[in-house]
Amino acid sequence: MYETDGEYSTSVGGFLRAGLEAGQPVFAAVPPARLTLLKDAFGGDAGRVEWADMTRIGRNPAWIIPRVAAFLARNQGRGVRYVGEPIWPSRTSAELREATRHESLINLAFASADAEILCPYDTGILDPVVVSDARRTHPLLLSDGCLRASHGYAEPFQIPAICRAPLPPSPHEAMPFIYRTDLSAVRALVFKHARDAGLPDARANDLVLAVSEVAANTLRHTKSHGTLTIWHDNDEVVCEAHDRGVITDPLAGRRRPPADADGGHGLWLVHQVCDLVELRSNRAGTTIRMHMALHGPVTLTARNRGPRGAATVAAARAVRVVEHGCGPAEDVRYDFGLG
Amino acid sequence: MDLLKTSVTTSASGSEPYTLVALSGEADVTNSDVLREVLEAEVAKQTHMMIIDLSELRFMDSSALHVILRANRAMDRQGGVLALASPRESVAKTLRLTAADQLIPVYATVTEATAG
Repeated sequence: MYETDGEYSTSVGGFLRAGLEAGQPVFAAVPPARLTLLKDAFGGDAGRVEWADMTRIGRNPAWIIPRVAAFLARNQGRGVRYVGEPIWPSRTSAELREATRHESLINLAFASADAEILCPYDTGILDPVVVSDARRTHPLLLSDGCLRASHGYAEPFQIPAICRAPLPPSPHEAMPFIYRTDLSAVRALVFKHARDAGLPDARANDLVLAVSEVAANTLRHTKSHGTLTIWHDNDEVVCEAHDRGVITDPLAGRRRPPADADGGHGLWLVHQVCDLVELRSNRAGTTIRMHMALHGPVTLTARNRGPRGAATVAAARAVRVVEHGCGPAEDVRYDFGLG
Repeated sequence: MDLLKTSVTTSASGSEPYTLVALSGEADVTNSDVLREVLEAEVAKQTHMMIIDLSELRFMDSSALHVILRANRAMDRQGGVLALASPRESVAKTLRLTAADQLIPVYATVTEATAG
């Protein structure tokens, strides 16, 4: 728990500084106001940290794991520290679900990586449900400068319930379109709807590529048709494809496939070009809902910043190195440099 | 009408002969077999330099990209060179996002591609 912005920079900054002092590469991706706070606290040492505005690099939470993976790859063989804050109050409920999914997947993605990861949560302004989900997705919690096991942590790995629940229904006036092999017609339909809704050409083409890749998967992996539903409101255009296929890998599309790979580029492209992708898959089939914001990327100003005195809980996880087969919680060696 | 059209010509830049494969329309999973046959036939001729002109290609999905990547590997193995020329922005973006542009040289024009 942190009572003030100053304490945020002391504890989160302390986590990063301890990494620098140990000679570790450190990377922090947080919303802009937090970025300013941390950079100020680092003063002349700010240049030794890799900083990123999370509202840009993590606008679609599916972009974060590849970005952290790239940081790890650049520092191969060295233990790294990473702070990631992908959840802020102005996120839409769909974004919050996906950010929460990301928070649970990052443990899975970097389970064997030599990485220490800290995720700050602003308990003063975030919905209590979000904070309780954070307790489920993180093995360790840091509050009042103390690191404790998180009793809510779900093990073995489990996607939080809000990310598994059926998606909110599409608007009833949205007309479903049945597709089989007529992918060109699918693309024309998506392009027209996206342009009519006000999406600029380039972004309409992005959505066309995403939907076409999903429809191509229907063709490749199922023996039946797919259903495409398109709708828009004042904020976004949404395309939802449903088919009888099953996607079992929870990290599908979140790991950059080798350029020369003979597969795996489809879902990677879908996640890369969309502002947000929601995916539900079970034995009954797969639903992929692709979102494109109509007014371009949302830039956050003061909205993502907590009121003064807001309490924040920072949850740490994937702490320490499974390289030699040590368990996650017992072998924690943590020095936040808080003293 | 075919969704994807291909045309193959052989030309020479200076004394260096090259094969130009021009694609037009939309290349996706439904016609990637056609594209594969066209490219494999040219690779089989032991051509030293193959340029794929993408200027009239309105759409390319990952299946078509995989076919091109395969042709690139085959050209590599026989000591030849594959190059891509004048992709539209949406196709160029797919090449960038998959990092295929790190494996296959991409040029703004066919002329630049022939100059290497």
